Amino acid sequence: MSFDVPTDRRYTESHEWIAPTDGTYRVGITDFAQDELGDIVFVELPAEGTDLDEGEEYGVVESIKAVSDVYVPVSGTVAAVNEALTDAPELINDDPYGDGWLIELENVDEAAVEELLDADAYEEQTE
Amino acid sequence: MPYATHPPDERAAMLDEVGIDDPAELFDIPDAVRFTGEYGIDAHSERDARARVGSVLDESTELTEFLGGGHYDHYVPSVVDHLSLRSEFLTSYTQYQPEIAQGFLQALFEFQSLVVELTGMDVANASMYDRSTALGEAALLASRVRGADGDTVLVPDSLPERVRSVLENYTNGPGIAVERYPTTDGTADVDALESLVGDDTLLVYAATPNDYGLLEPELDAIGALAHDADALFCVGSDAVALSVLEPPATAGADIVVGDASVLGMGTTYGMGLGIFAAREEYLRQLPGRLVGASEDDSGNRAYTLTLQTREQHIRRERATSNICSNQAWVALRASIHAAWLGPRGLIDLAEECVAGVDELCARLDGVEGVTAPVYEGAHFREVAVETDAPAAVVAGRLREEGFALRTRSDGGDGAEGEDGSEDDDESDDEYLVVCVTDTNRDAVDDLADALASVSEVSE
Repeated sequence: MSFDVPTDRRYTESHEWIAPTDGTYRVGITDFAQDELGDIVFVELPAEGTDLDEGEEYGVVESIKAVSDVYVPVSGTVAAVNEALTDAPELINDDPYGDGWLIELENVDEAAVEELLDADAYEEQTE
Repeated sequence: MPYATHPPDERAAMLDEVGIDDPAELFDIPDAVRFTGEYGIDAHSERDARARVGSVLDESTELTEFLGGGHYDHYVPSVVDHLSLRSEFLTSYTQYQPEIAQGFLQALFEFQSLVVELTGMDVANASMYDRSTALGEAALLASRVRGADGDTVLVPDSLPERVRSVLENYTNGPGIAVERYPTTDGTADVDALESLVGDDTLLVYAATPNDYGLLEPELDAIGALAHDADALFCVGSDAVALSVLEPPATAGADIVVGDASVLGMGTTYGMGLGIFAAREEYLRQLPGRLVGASEDDSGNRAYTLTLQTREQHIRRERATSNICSNQAWVALRASIHAAWLGPRGLIDLAEECVAGVDELCARLDGVEGVTAPVYEGAHFREVAVETDAPAAVVAGRLREEGFALRTRSDGGDGAEGEDGSEDDDESDDEYLVVCVTDTNRDAVDDLADALASVSEVSE
């Protein structure tokens, strides 16, 4: 089974992605991660304005078989959370790299993002 | 649930299978924490033990109780014993496996449904240990929901010491402060509360009936004050009182805690049965066990524990509560009792708790040197009564006459000799608090006569 790994973003070993979006960065979980979790039924996200340190857990993704913490790939401030997930957490399963994003970060150090895994490196890890 | 022992040959086969000689090899218990002493328990035959226990019990003094104080005696119909003592139900085993425990899961679902109906809330769990632990969990829920915005829980100064101390056990770790707001004439002083509610308030608690047996007339106002400060509003009550009271949901309650052991249980050993109900918004923050109705693969209704990701065995330190259990068998008994009475029977029982107090007050107020009630207002089961002689002295004399009554002081000074333990200093208590229910109502006249004979002030 092969998973979708877009080349326009960076990845972490804990299966999060981060992608530049109109001046901020969007963060979500990968196709591999959503498949591992199975049907996602609930998402817990931080309040806007929360300052997060790299590697800090910022929320919880709950599926019918597991509860998983999600960790922020780089330091930053929460600029937005994906409110659509409140009523439709399954968006993460359906479209993990698009409508299923979790939070938007500002005050992000671009260099820190560059240091993360690129698509090839992440794909290697999940094989 | 069959109880199957392991005969020696089966044990040997199992040990052989895993390749060890002794089950002790499976456990690594350091010597430092091993108990090596003697238990100091003498062995007796069953017949001897029965005789000894019987002779000790024979020394007990029969007292007519008017105690109350959180544990209320209502007549428990014999059907409750007959059903709950059936071997399918009577087990300390936690019967939650849906494959074999449909009956028990349904009983717990019925319990939850009963609590939801009585409280008017959206969801109720399968029970907590008692009202005190339920209140502790309510404080923790409020702190999870309100996040970093507050750190104070407000409780009335009439809240019994033993309830508050359990609450403080819960709040101590997370650094939540418990503050008391004043009561005037036995019920909440809303003006004083208003000056205490602020940005740091997580939760405001009010009980109806409270420890004086008074119904709280200002629930709506208290709820509004809590919500104005973005705090949660928690109402405490019990399953019988709620049968005739407005559901707390209509007063804006976010959480309802209380006790359901008023049904299905006597007062023996002070067994509680905590109620915990909340608005749907807080469903995933609920502590404890939750039974849900689902369907099996043939489309039949089937019950199962649900939303277990809140719980400790799934989420460890991030669980909503460190209680992954409930009082299943006690909840079963309460459910049978409630179902047996039905809505009309519950209302009749509750109305008796109102009429009984009125009758008691009329009778006791006629006794020289006795004022009943101390506080005006609607009472349920209990009432504060004032005597010219010190309350503790009167209670002591009544005990000699065969009546057990508790005493208490007004809140605010923390001096509450109300758990009946012998080293309690009850000498400063101002009131008798007299509890009358269906089980002791016929002794009210005797109590009044006894009170008349002991309440003259004498040295």
